Amino acid sequence: MSMAMARWWAVGLAALVLAGPAGAEEGVTDTEIRIGQWGPQTGPAAPWGAVARGAGVLFQLINDEGGIHGRKIRYQMFDDGYNPAKTKAGVKELQEGPGGIFAWVSGVGTAPGLAVRDYLRERKVPWVGPASGSHHWVSPPEKNLFALYPLYRYEAAALVRYLVGTGGKKRVAIAYLNDDYGKDGVAGAAAELARHGLKLVAEVPVEKGDSDLKPHVLQLKKAEPDAVLLWVTPTHAVGLVGTGKAMGLAPQWASTSSCSDLVLMHKISKGLWEGVIVANFTELPDADTPLMKKYRAAFEKYAAKDERWGVFFYAGMGFAEPLVEGLRRAGRNLTRQALVAELEKLRDFKGVLGRVSYQPFDPTDPLSRQGQREVFLTRCLADGKAERLTDWLTVE
Amino acid sequence: MDRKRDYYEDVEPLKTRAQRFWFAALLGALAAYPFLLPNYWVYLANYTAIHVLVAVGLNLLVGYTGQISLGHAGFFAAGAYGTTLLMAKGGLPFALALPLAAALAALLGAALAVPALRLEGPYLSIATLAFGLTVTQVIGRVGWFGGRQGLHTPELWLGPWNVATDRDFYLLLVPLTVALVFAARGITRTRVGRAFVAIRDSDVAAETLGVNLVRFKTLAFALSAFYTGLAGGLYAFVLRFIEPEMFGLMMSILFLAMVVVGGLGALPGSVAGACLLSWLDLELRNILAVPYLGAWLEGLSKTWFSITGVSNISFIVYGSILVAIMLFEPLGLYGIWLRTKRYWRAWPF
Amino acid sequence: MIADLWQAVASGVMAGSTYALMALGLVLVYKTSEVVNFAQGEIALAATFVAYLGLEHHGVPWWAALPGALAFAALLGAAVEFGVLRRAKDPSVLGTIIITIGLEMVFLGLVSWKFGADPKTLPFPLPPYDGVSLAGAYVSSLELLTAAAAVGLMLALYLVLAHSRLGLAIRATQQNRDAARLMGVRTRRVLMATWALASAVGALGGLLIAPVTMHPYMMWDPLLKGFAAAVLGGLTSLPGAVAGAYLLGVTENLFGAFVSLEFKSVVAFAAIVAVLCVRPSGLFARHHVKKV
Repeated sequence: MSMAMARWWAVGLAALVLAGPAGAEEGVTDTEIRIGQWGPQTGPAAPWGAVARGAGVLFQLINDEGGIHGRKIRYQMFDDGYNPAKTKAGVKELQEGPGGIFAWVSGVGTAPGLAVRDYLRERKVPWVGPASGSHHWVSPPEKNLFALYPLYRYEAAALVRYLVGTGGKKRVAIAYLNDDYGKDGVAGAAAELARHGLKLVAEVPVEKGDSDLKPHVLQLKKAEPDAVLLWVTPTHAVGLVGTGKAMGLAPQWASTSSCSDLVLMHKISKGLWEGVIVANFTELPDADTPLMKKYRAAFEKYAAKDERWGVFFYAGMGFAEPLVEGLRRAGRNLTRQALVAELEKLRDFKGVLGRVSYQPFDPTDPLSRQGQREVFLTRCLADGKAERLTDWLTVE
Repeated sequence: MDRKRDYYEDVEPLKTRAQRFWFAALLGALAAYPFLLPNYWVYLANYTAIHVLVAVGLNLLVGYTGQISLGHAGFFAAGAYGTTLLMAKGGLPFALALPLAAALAALLGAALAVPALRLEGPYLSIATLAFGLTVTQVIGRVGWFGGRQGLHTPELWLGPWNVATDRDFYLLLVPLTVALVFAARGITRTRVGRAFVAIRDSDVAAETLGVNLVRFKTLAFALSAFYTGLAGGLYAFVLRFIEPEMFGLMMSILFLAMVVVGGLGALPGSVAGACLLSWLDLELRNILAVPYLGAWLEGLSKTWFSITGVSNISFIVYGSILVAIMLFEPLGLYGIWLRTKRYWRAWPF
Repeated sequence: MIADLWQAVASGVMAGSTYALMALGLVLVYKTSEVVNFAQGEIALAATFVAYLGLEHHGVPWWAALPGALAFAALLGAAVEFGVLRRAKDPSVLGTIIITIGLEMVFLGLVSWKFGADPKTLPFPLPPYDGVSLAGAYVSSLELLTAAAAVGLMLALYLVLAHSRLGLAIRATQQNRDAARLMGVRTRRVLMATWALASAVGALGGLLIAPVTMHPYMMWDPLLKGFAAAVLGGLTSLPGAVAGAYLLGVTENLFGAFVSLEFKSVVAFAAIVAVLCVRPSGLFARHHVKKV
């Protein structure tokens, strides 16, 4: 223990010396800005861990372009396995370790995020763009927490609006994962249907461990829906569509951004995903905008060779964009206060996600901290490509 | 070693002067720890202390009484949810809610002892596993328990003392842990402990000798569940947030692994096993940052495996430790310690 | 109502077939070596991903890749018995459980390291969802194949155990290892053969799941249900394990259809706790009374 102690004393002293001029912000030195993120690289939630790796590629790109006002970004990402205890341990270790962390970016998952939310709030550390569309980030809103991912409720509302309004569907049902994410979908769909004087004709819960989906399809089928929302995991979504087709249930299927990686969905469903409508919160993977081209080039250059250009990989780049923009605008005299002030001034900022706007902090207005409010809908084509059905839709 | 004159000398915790000295040194180090080390290390210590409590409680059941449990995450969850809900919905103070929740866990333990009385090893392991899974799944599906989104714990007050920081919590948790570990040690050396060991070695023989199987097996389950429930209630406040998925099968496996790696039927082993495995549990994610080893692993990933999946090495390390311990030193860390001691005692011969 | 009942029973039988394949492997291993094999699921997982590697990346035709995967599983199972379990000094039940759990983590780690976490599906000669109607109840052809495999394997294994020389050796090893050895049975080789066989049976289960669900955690649920089924039927009886699997599948589905879909997956586990309270050695195995 004495060795460890001596080391820590040394680190403490060094930190005091290095801290230099009074008032320098935690996690910022003359040459670097320290940014942290957690994302599961192991465990059942690991597919979403691509978000954290995507952000890493964006930061590498920025560093190679010279950094931000002469500072390089020092990106500290760790694997929490979607286990809140590990998230909290990792966040504390980096935040309180030598150098500290200036701000946190994204962070995958609702439960891990909820476990560290209070801690980050107490320390007044900015946290930009949690990678989940849970309503918890903005109810109530917090000064230093900038939500980004459009709420699952918005997605549900947008899908319902399209299905009922444009598609003329009257009997909408939902199959939902029996957790927060699924229940947000149910709430959003029900609220939007109520505005059209309609109700969900069936709400069928799916459990994470369920692999036989016949009972669920049977229950859906009884309600005779003409459209079914799939608020489940990609594997379950494919299973429902496939089992549905075999059992004679062929409504218009519609699903969330979690299943919006059409290339993947088309592949694992062996083509059954064709015709499904999904909500998107990012540009399409083959979009021709200059920014997407640039990011694809960065992906080729920096990403590991077994990495896939999936939606959640470049969404990870997108989740980090508002933070980067805020850092740029805050200038050389970087403080957390300045960052927050500049983020509050973002209006219709457009990267590879939809437009992002924040307002000056208002504890009674969740929208002051909900950055993106728009999604657009696509339909999966026969070759796994996307057909754009709508432009970006803003849901109030 | 001098002769013992009555059974209570067995229970007496510190017999020799050397023992008393080392114990005082340990207490001193533990007391100084939160004031000398950075906050993260204090959090790590709290996390570890929780697991020490569980490992000691589980060892009473597995190591001393010989009953397998793959469901202790269920008791842990009962303690965590019990404490949080009794405080948040029942309005009870922490000092009352924690023991009540632990008692609830003990009750569940006693209930699980009913099938356990008649079950042989493999059946028991599956029955306890099923119990653990049932608890987690029920909690997750009932809205009153907070559902899948989990619960934030209320503020923690002990009389006028607001236990807010990690250091505060350390000052509450660690003395409690030390006391409970010594209490467990005391129990193992009384009539109860001897009955446990007799059941482990041969339940038929124990019964012939007048050990009441029903009573002592039930007691072992209840006691073990009590320790685990207590640890669960405290864990809720280390994390300040609980959700049902945390208390899954992996957690039960981790608990059992701590006891086995530490050494079955040896409480110091459980403490060591809990320290080692909870440290590994939190720190293995940094394995790629280890000099040389990290670079080698990265090279290996590029040639044979994948970089995106490289973090899964932590599973491989964990699993290999379990297998290696069972193959080379079934008594675990405690066995290694005994062997080392014996080796040096006779050194250089 | 009757249609629902019939569909639930049919779904239950089909779900039970998957559990049965896992349970058969578990029982086979437990019968001969008294090891509760938690690694069986991940051995099957590894084999399934080997098949995927061949089919998807190296253009191996299915008639070579699928048997190849089964052979791989058999080799892996034999290697586990030979390289690890045989090396354990005088292992207790708990000791073997810990060893197999450790191996489970190692295999899971290796597969996730190699293949990443993205969901996949196994290219398979049968389309995964195309199905048939059995008197009004829908079942997929993949499920029918699974059911046929489960029942066929059970019968085959039963016949092998009852009537072949290998079966005799297995039974002798199971009853008294030392005596069997004295009678000239190569008990170690028998153990290794059983492990190989059981792993291949489990891998068949994995291969039949993978066309629909394929990711590193795909075997957890089937394995746990397989355990539940095996315990329900009694860990030492092959027909018992299969019966337990079907009972479990049907109970689950009836519960899901008529009581609560939400609590469907809890039923299996609550049921085994309850059954074990009443029948400590499962429903179909004779209760083993310890002799002193």
